[in-house]
Parts: sequence; structure tokens; C-alpha cells
Amino acid sequence: MIRLYLFILLPMLLATVMYLFPNKHIKRIAILFQAGLLVCAIVNFLYVKQYETIFERLGGWDGYVGISLRADALSSVMLMLTAVLFLVMLIFNYSKDYVNNLFLFLFLVLQALMMGIFLSNDLFNIYVLMEVSTIIVSILIMFKKDSQSIYDGMIYLFVNIVGMAFFLFGIGFIYKIFGVLDFNGIKEKMHLIEHSKTLIIPYALMITAVGLKSALMPLFSWLPKAHATPSAPSIVSAILSGLYVKTGIYLFIRVQEMYIGRIDMSEYFMVMGFLTGVIGFILALSQTDIKLILAYHTISQIGLIMIGLNYPDTNAYWGAVYHIISHAFVKSTLFLTAGIIIEEYKTRNIWEIKGVFKRLPIVATSSILAILGITGAPFFNGSISKYLIESGIKGNMLEYGVLLINLGTIIYFMKYLSMFWGKWEGPKARVDKYRRVIIIILGLLCFIGGLYGQGLINYLFNQDVVIDLPSYMQKIIVYLASLVVGVIIYKRIVLKSQILYKVQELKVGFNNVCLLITIFFSVTLLYLVMKYMLLEPAVASVARFF
Amino acid sequence: MEWLNGETVSILLFFIGIYGIIARRNIVKTVISIGIMQTAVILFFITINYKEGSVPPIGNVTQSNIADPIPQALMITAIVIGVAVTAVSLTMFITLYHKYGTTNWAKMTKRRMDQEND
Repeated sequence: MIRLYLFILLPMLLATVMYLFPNKHIKRIAILFQAGLLVCAIVNFLYVKQYETIFERLGGWDGYVGISLRADALSSVMLMLTAVLFLVMLIFNYSKDYVNNLFLFLFLVLQALMMGIFLSNDLFNIYVLMEVSTIIVSILIMFKKDSQSIYDGMIYLFVNIVGMAFFLFGIGFIYKIFGVLDFNGIKEKMHLIEHSKTLIIPYALMITAVGLKSALMPLFSWLPKAHATPSAPSIVSAILSGLYVKTGIYLFIRVQEMYIGRIDMSEYFMVMGFLTGVIGFILALSQTDIKLILAYHTISQIGLIMIGLNYPDTNAYWGAVYHIISHAFVKSTLFLTAGIIIEEYKTRNIWEIKGVFKRLPIVATSSILAILGITGAPFFNGSISKYLIESGIKGNMLEYGVLLINLGTIIYFMKYLSMFWGKWEGPKARVDKYRRVIIIILGLLCFIGGLYGQGLINYLFNQDVVIDLPSYMQKIIVYLASLVVGVIIYKRIVLKSQILYKVQELKVGFNNVCLLITIFFSVTLLYLVMKYMLLEPAVASVARFF
Repeated sequence: MEWLNGETVSILLFFIGIYGIIARRNIVKTVISIGIMQTAVILFFITINYKEGSVPPIGNVTQSNIADPIPQALMITAIVIGVAVTAVSLTMFITLYHKYGTTNWAKMTKRRMDQEND
């Protein structure tokens, strides 16, 4: 087995050494190192799969005093995902000049911090790692130092610091109640809590921060700016949108797990997820900047993942977890290809880009593979995860909600696709050979993830999900039907109406974002009070009466 | 005056900080308000589980009422992070101030939007 702390320590050490002693080989060293780290992550995954969850206490302290790390099925898969994506991103940018030692330093430290978040089993460590990664990400956003991206980075930093202050306050309450900060320790003592109302305030504080990190409904306004800053390098956008936002969802899963048996808010977050999905696609439809379309698309997919995670059904849950992975690959492909298209056309306006198929055939092909994947076309990765989510929530009203979100996805990708068609008389543009290879691999992975989806879920998470052929066929028909409806709505309504372009961007200033955070916190608190202090005693007293 | 302990004061301070970030348009005041929120959390941590007359766990303490050292250890980390965050945000603010020439969030947002539309 591989000691878990190495996953956090090695990237950070290498980053520091490379920053202090820059030479012309650093890119090659970084790529080799990433390949090694990927092998380590795979070995670690195999070990966890074969034996059991690894717990590691740093410093050798007994009990829950020291820092502890944990690798279970979910976190070891996330670890592999991180290693794969960072390797791919570094190869993608191999021949770019701006990848200097400073950029590599920030990039590798971000990787170390993300791996730390996935491995950490201790609330305070998660707070520290989150806070430091916020700073790193904001510096990466403004890496090219023009005033727009500095503004976006600053908004990102401030909003997330405020969110993390809520988180730390929540941890304070947890420590006051339990006296430990270790997930296992808290879970062990959870049954000693007599009444759920003791946990209302820490839960509301923590979930506000987690909701902000995972860009839930009213709290997502920082995300498009951060993920789609005009001048941010495309690999930074890809990592942020494909992977970094998933740390929020991962934390959401962990925090929900921690409160199991005492606080259950799944119905609340199911509705939140639905609203997030719908608002995400409405805003995506009204954008003209291709990077912003992709950023808002992330929001709507997060809504979908939230619905799946909170629905009390194993199929829906694992479908959502698989959607985290498939979305990571799809979104990286799309952001990388969008980056190449923007470099080639020197514009981000979707109406000014025409004929990508003729000018950049490989880029267009792999984008289309990714789009087929995320819209849930048969035999692509999105179809597996969406099939599982839909089959899990069958019979519930939300099934139509998921169909609606998927229809929205199809409609705005119709718009996104419009730039691929059209004429181009000139010669084909040249794409760097590393970039070509990477986008082809990523595009194919979207397809492979669909073909072997069921087997992959069974292998990765030891979950027996059943994909039965007749209902999968039925889903294919539903997909084709929604494709037709999507095309009709797009041609008849979206292209002709002007209303959508009025809402183009929710112009939310920093003060209003903070107001939204406070409102989200208050609403969550009110809902919890209603549920656990007013309704539950009432139900209990009625039950006693009979 | 028993209610006036570290916990209530810290909750009060936290919400004063929130008021600051919601109601003040000045970016420097925003940084200060975030600082107040962090200070509130630090105060909260070091006063929870405090018992009258407890001794610090230094050396061979035989007494039974030992103060819990973990919150202090955690808060040292939190203070360091707070300093770093404040430094980074002020640096960013100075750079932006040189470019946009304003300390007001609303004006800065407006200039950012104008720049995008050009």
C-alpha cells in the first residue's frame, strides 16, 4: 500500500523544488511526475478495492486527537480522477510559453490541496485546505493579469472567504457539541445527541458554505465569472469547472453522511437541485460568450447531480456519482476545445464563429463527442448516468424535472453547435500535436465511459447497478423525442424571441452576493427549525395522543 | 451579566461582520468586515468549553481541570490563514485601484461591465 500523505506532500514538494530551481526541463519533469502519481493513485485504488478502507493517523496519536486521512471507494476514485485530469492538462499545454515555473507551482499546489480535500477525514483540515485552495484558484484566475480577470478573481476570493467563515463557525459549534473534529469520532457520538435541534445551527452554517462551494441555486453567481474569465488559461477553466467545483459536491456528500440519523434535508436539496438545474439552463441559453455558456452549463449539471444524490434510491445515488465523473471529462473536453477555438478565431462571441468543422475538424469532432456525451445520447457516458438517475426517481414528479433539465441541455447545445456549421474557404488551421492527441483521447473517453458504463460503476464502487435493455431502449426513444422537441423549440422560439437576451447576465454585485448567502442561511435555518422544532414535536405529541 | 460571555459576543461580532459586507460599498471596509467575522470565529473557538480555574497543559500537570489545548492550536492556524487572506485581498485591491481608480464596489462592477461590452 501507498502511504496516503504522500499524495498531498509529493506534489507540493515537487512544486516548491521546481519553483526554486527552474530549468528548461520542468514541464517534462512535471508530466513524468503526474504519470507516476496516476500509477500510485491506481495502486491505491486497487488496494482499497481489494482490502478495505484505509485510515491513516498522522503523528501516531491515539483516538481522535491527531490528523487522520481516509481513502474509501469514493475518495480513491476521486483521487484517480484528479491525477488523470492534471496529467492530461499538463500534456495539453506542453508547448505553451505561459507555463512557467510560477504557473506550475500554483497548478501542482492546487492538485495537492484537492487531493488533500478528497483524503481528509477531519473537518478543520478540510477548512484549511479549502481556504488555501481558494487563494490559489483566485491567483490562477488572474494569472494573465488584466484588469477584468483581477476583478473576477477578487470577487471569487472574497465570496468564498465569506463562505468559509460560515464553515469555520459551524465547525466551532460541532467542536463545542462533540469535542472532536474527526468524521469518525463525530459519527460515533452522533447517537448520543438526544434531539436533532441541537445540531440545527452547525448544520445550517456548514451547509451554507458547502452550498456556496458547490454553486447551488442562489449562491452560484460567483461561478460563471470565475470559470469563464476571458483571459484565464483554458486549462485553468477546465480544471475549475470539471474538477474543482466537485470538491464542493464531495464535501456535501461527506457532510450529509456525518449528520445521518439526526438531520435529513434531502427533500430540501432535491428541490434546490431542480431549481439550480432549471435556472442554469435558462441563463446558459441567453449567453453569447461560448465560455459563459459552458460555465452556466456546469451549474445546470450540478442541479442534476444534486437531485440524484438526494433521492433516496441507490440507482439514483450512484448515477449521480457517475455523473460527477462523466461531467468532469465532458467539461474538460469542452473547455479545452473552446480554448482552441477562441485562440483560432480571436473572439468569444458565438455568432461570429462559423465553420469550425471545416477549419478545425478534429476539435469539432471531439467537441461533438463530448456534447453527445453530456446530452445523454445513447452509448455515451451521460446516457448511463442520466439513465440511472431517471430510473431511480421513476414515478416521482421530479422525473419530469430531470427530463426538463435534459431538454434544456439539448436546446443550448443546439445553439453551441451552430458555430460548427457554415463555410470556411481558407486552409485548415494547424493544431499543436500534443493538443490534438489530448482532445481526441478525452473525446473518446466520453464514448468509452458510455459503452462500459455499467461495468465501470460495478468495478469502481462495487455497486451492482442494473441497466436493463428494454428500459434503456425506451430512454433512447425519449432522448430522440426530446432532441426533436429541442430542435423545434430552438428554431421556433429561442432564435426568434428577444426576451432571453434581456436576462443575459444577472448583474449581482458583491454586496448582493453576500446578501444572498445570508438569505440562503436564514431560509435553511428556518426550514430546519420548522422541521425539527415545530413539526416533529407536534407529530410526536399527536402520536402519543393516539 | 452572565450572558455576556465569549460565545454571545462572538455571535454578535459575526453578524456585525455580515452587516458590514452586505451594507458597505467600500472595498477596504469589506476587507475589515471579513476580518471582524474571522475574529469572531476565533473568539468563539477559544471561549467554548472554558471552565473557571482550569490550568494550561504545560509540563507535568497533576490537576484534573486542564484547559482544552486543541482550540488554541486550531486558532493559531486560523489566524495565520486570516493574515494571508487579508494580505492577498489587499494586494488585489491595490492593483485594481490603480486600474479602475475607485474603492466602490458598484463603480468597479460598472467599469468591469463597460470594459466587457467594448
